[in-house]
Amino acid sequence: MTKDTKQATILEIQRMSTEDGPGIRTTVFFKGCPLKCSWCHNPESISPYPQIQWIESKCIGCSTCIKTCPEKALLLNGTGIHIDRSICNTCGACVDACPSTAMEWIGLKWTLDDLVNEVIKDRAYFEKSGGGITLSGGEPTMQADFAGQLLQRLRGLGIHTALDTCGVCSKNSLEKLLPYSSMVLFDLKEIDPDNHITFTGSKLDPVLENLIFTAQFMKSHIYPQTLWIRTPLIPDATARKENIRGIGQFISSHLRSTVARWELCAFNNLCKDKYIRLGLHWPFKDKELLQKSVIDELTEVARRSGVNPDIVHWSGVARLEPPDVNKVSKAS
Amino acid sequence: MSTSLAEKIDFKMKEPKNLSPRVQWLRDYYFQGVKRAWNNEFTSWSTGTPWDLQYQEMTYYIVPEVYMLIDTLNGSYHQAAKNIKLHEDFWIWSLVERRAWFIKEVMVNYVPQEILPGDLLAGSRFNIIASMCFTKKEREEYDRRTKGKNGARTKVFWFHNHGYGNTGATSGHLIPGYDRVLTYGWKAIYEDLQSRYLDLPNDEKKSKKGAQLRAMITASTMAKELADKYAKLCRQIADQEKNTQRKQELLQMAKNLSRIPWEPARNFWEAVQSLWLTHMLVMSDENYPGPGVSFGRIDQYLLPFWSQSESEGMDREFAKEILKCFWVHCNTAYDAMIKNGHQGITAGFGQLITLSGMGKDGKDLTNDLTYMILEVIDEMTPILEPKPNVRLHRNSPDKLLDTVVDMISSSQGAPFLLNFDERSMAGMLLESRTSHIPHLINDTNVHDYAPVGCLENTMQGNDRSGTVDNNLNLLKAVELALTGGKDLIPFIDPMTGKAEKIKQDGPATGNAEHFKTFDEFWEAYETQTKYIIKKCVDIYELSESVRAELFPTPYLSCLVKGCAEKRLDVTQGGAEISFTTLEAVTFATTVDSLLAINYLVFDKKACTMSALVQALKDNWKGHEMLQAMAKSKAPKYGRDDDKADAMAKKAMDLWCTETWKHKTRSTKRQFRPGMLSWNYWAGDGYIMAASADGRMKGQFLSNAICPSNGADIHGPTSNANSVGKALGGKSKDEKGDWQEYFNCLPNGASHTMTFNPSIIKDPEHKEKFKAFLKGYCENGGTALQINMLDPSILRDAQKKPQDYRHLLVRITGYNAYFTTIGKELQNEVIERLSHSKF
Repeated sequence: MTKDTKQATILEIQRMSTEDGPGIRTTVFFKGCPLKCSWCHNPESISPYPQIQWIESKCIGCSTCIKTCPEKALLLNGTGIHIDRSICNTCGACVDACPSTAMEWIGLKWTLDDLVNEVIKDRAYFEKSGGGITLSGGEPTMQADFAGQLLQRLRGLGIHTALDTCGVCSKNSLEKLLPYSSMVLFDLKEIDPDNHITFTGSKLDPVLENLIFTAQFMKSHIYPQTLWIRTPLIPDATARKENIRGIGQFISSHLRSTVARWELCAFNNLCKDKYIRLGLHWPFKDKELLQKSVIDELTEVARRSGVNPDIVHWSGVARLEPPDVNKVSKAS
Repeated sequence: MSTSLAEKIDFKMKEPKNLSPRVQWLRDYYFQGVKRAWNNEFTSWSTGTPWDLQYQEMTYYIVPEVYMLIDTLNGSYHQAAKNIKLHEDFWIWSLVERRAWFIKEVMVNYVPQEILPGDLLAGSRFNIIASMCFTKKEREEYDRRTKGKNGARTKVFWFHNHGYGNTGATSGHLIPGYDRVLTYGWKAIYEDLQSRYLDLPNDEKKSKKGAQLRAMITASTMAKELADKYAKLCRQIADQEKNTQRKQELLQMAKNLSRIPWEPARNFWEAVQSLWLTHMLVMSDENYPGPGVSFGRIDQYLLPFWSQSESEGMDREFAKEILKCFWVHCNTAYDAMIKNGHQGITAGFGQLITLSGMGKDGKDLTNDLTYMILEVIDEMTPILEPKPNVRLHRNSPDKLLDTVVDMISSSQGAPFLLNFDERSMAGMLLESRTSHIPHLINDTNVHDYAPVGCLENTMQGNDRSGTVDNNLNLLKAVELALTGGKDLIPFIDPMTGKAEKIKQDGPATGNAEHFKTFDEFWEAYETQTKYIIKKCVDIYELSESVRAELFPTPYLSCLVKGCAEKRLDVTQGGAEISFTTLEAVTFATTVDSLLAINYLVFDKKACTMSALVQALKDNWKGHEMLQAMAKSKAPKYGRDDDKADAMAKKAMDLWCTETWKHKTRSTKRQFRPGMLSWNYWAGDGYIMAASADGRMKGQFLSNAICPSNGADIHGPTSNANSVGKALGGKSKDEKGDWQEYFNCLPNGASHTMTFNPSIIKDPEHKEKFKAFLKGYCENGGTALQINMLDPSILRDAQKKPQDYRHLLVRITGYNAYFTTIGKELQNEVIERLSHSKF
């Protein structure tokens, strides 16, 4: 990993985000993630390096990119511009030359000053909504030095900050971020150790250790003040009753008084095109959204798992179903 | 990353609710449209002379859709006109006296009076096209000054055809002093006029001043005489009424009408009745149903009357019932051209009511009546008139915001406009400072401002500021700077198909190809901006001066403070506050074009200036790569990009500074800046040549102060921040014009934003949306129209218009029934919605 703390690779800055913590927020998506979740909704966030993609809907078909590429890594075939990623050295010449921004950077380098100036533009909305800035990703702890400095600067300006983490990082990294995070959104996806490895490519233990570490840190420090747990509901993966029950039991036995909210995030399929653009296969491409009844059932399991039922929420979208059709049960 | 919601929320169209059988019947009857036995369509009235004129075309110069129809309308109204038996002295009187008498005679003695079943308010027919009462000489003068070679019509058609915009002295768009009638009665106005007349020296009695006062005295008894007729009618109907409750209502209405509007109103029913009769006669006086004739702060001036009635035991629901009848009456304005369909000018009249807002010392003035009226709106919606504008500010109560957000979430978007007090008041104070009227607008009374029409800020009862009179396409100056003062493409006459020869219309600012820096281009742009503003001012003068001489509105003048005092008609600049507003159109397209020229030609050197000009002449055909760069790579206003927004501010300052330099010659009305742009951004897109921002001829221009369509890629907060910055932002200390706020547009600026309904899907998100509105109050503009629509419902409405007659959409702050707007505009609304990513 680069040790350059003056710059960070940022995937996206999303303003007026209403789904990443309390109030109206600006979410900073850091690029690079240690996990490889099979359902990942943001495959472009996994690599820590800037990448290039081609957006079909923006392309005017002028072939400027092909003519410009010094490595001859671009090819026009029946489906559009194909980037041979084994040749492409991400020099960015095609991005500069493309007149219509169809060739696009995934991830840009930001300096700390520029990023601070950019993300505080919605301060008025943060203040009126109890919102602030969320560091998400990818995984912000992978660029811990920069992320820590960013959080410190923002806290210095009196802005509410949230750290959204998958929990796979060193304690050292966490310690750089936690003191300046008003709150933590901690992902706990799967409670079965074998499943966790299968689904995410990573062990469960470090996640649980870091979660407990975070909870203890909160008790001995002023910040973070709030801890939310987020669990994605993925069909044929995490959206199982025993998983939800298990996570709930873990929360109630280890984090009983610390967790203010447990959010079940319903699967969505809007990332289908991202996989196509990156030339990747997505095993979930044909999965339908969860039925409302399934989400409700899992939410109920969570509420009865031993946690304070009031902390359980679900977010996202359920499958659209014709209201008057007789229920056809489908296994999910 | 958070879930991006592109789901289709399956929401139902808003249905009216909680309507009594009476109101349900009146509302249903109204929506039967042309099938109704009764309607309020125009009736035409003549002095019987062959040279008589009914149709005042100048008031429609700002409605290019009717240009081709003017002579036809003129002729048909004249043909259809019924003759009035004139007073024996009629032709001895001055024009203003003739007109005052004529309107009164028509309204009191010729137009029939009717009461619809169950209606609690009298005052039905008011849409008249009445004679202008011209002598032959006056008619000839009028023809010469409109249709002659240098006439107003000739010039304004040229102005429009060549893409500059439109301009014309237009009716309405003010808040008459209704509160004075409610509180003191027409009697007080009559007595005041009488004493002013008696105080005139004899020679002045014979002058224009005397004639004006005599005419206003005549007009000031019109409402009383009409009320007497309606009182009689109520008694007649009551005599035959078998239902005792209805009989009582009719007798009470008769009692009310025999008192008001001549005497002060004593309770809520009297006040609303007095308000309606007084208001509808303004529309009669102007030969035009309700264009922005607005009510102002109705929840403030009606409150004492409601408190009185409430203490006397009036049921809250009955008070709402009276208001609901008032709502139905306001909508009958649309009947004027009920048989010509719903297009164009009939799409939004804008009898605006103002609710809530700040009082002295920043105190909030929301009251029980505010909530009652919001309930009425909620229960009657969807319905077009009167249009509500809810004023918000830093101290707006949470209860009001909760109501506002709940109503937005249950309608197809906000059933009202939102005005933002701090920013608006800063603009009103700037206007006061710039034109030296601190005695009329100052820190202690500016909170009593109110918008007219849609969002055009004025004071109440003493202010006519011509808020829709001048609509200038700022983009024309960019075109002329590129060509050195000539049209880029020739105007082609749609009738003959012939191309007009391109002339040196603007100043010769030199060949743009020789400009070495953007600053040199800017200098040319500045010169051309000054030219187009001057052109607009000069052409406006043509219709303004004709109106001042030939089209008095003595009844309206009675209701506008300053007219009696100055013995001047409101059309002659009689109002105490008498501005005329230059509404800039195409702001974002202009700024984005300037940014693109800088980016393509000077910054990136992607092309030469001559290549760019050629691309625009070719409407970008064959220059697709350059067009793509202009569209996608050049910076844009509306993204909270400080550099791009600085260009917006620079362009804003230029045209505003220039606008303040002008006054009308005939009426001494100061020009002031604003941004409304009604529907011109759509229509003029077909007239104006391709623009440097990548827009092709035929594509829409930008709307008012909104970013160009699709440019606001960073979401609503960045969009709003850019708007606030363009208006002047805030001072770092308290040294703004109102607290720390600046606003260079006293008129205000129309800002429309479309949200995905998911933004308010549950209580938690509603709280966030409320906070967005509070944040907008800090960072945004003067007025916001919120759209909240599902594309699928709109596509379905395109296919099955018959099923969606009630579906309202809001464009540029004016409401229209979706099925009545053109296909292009429909597609535009759908496209905006489909692209919202929340």
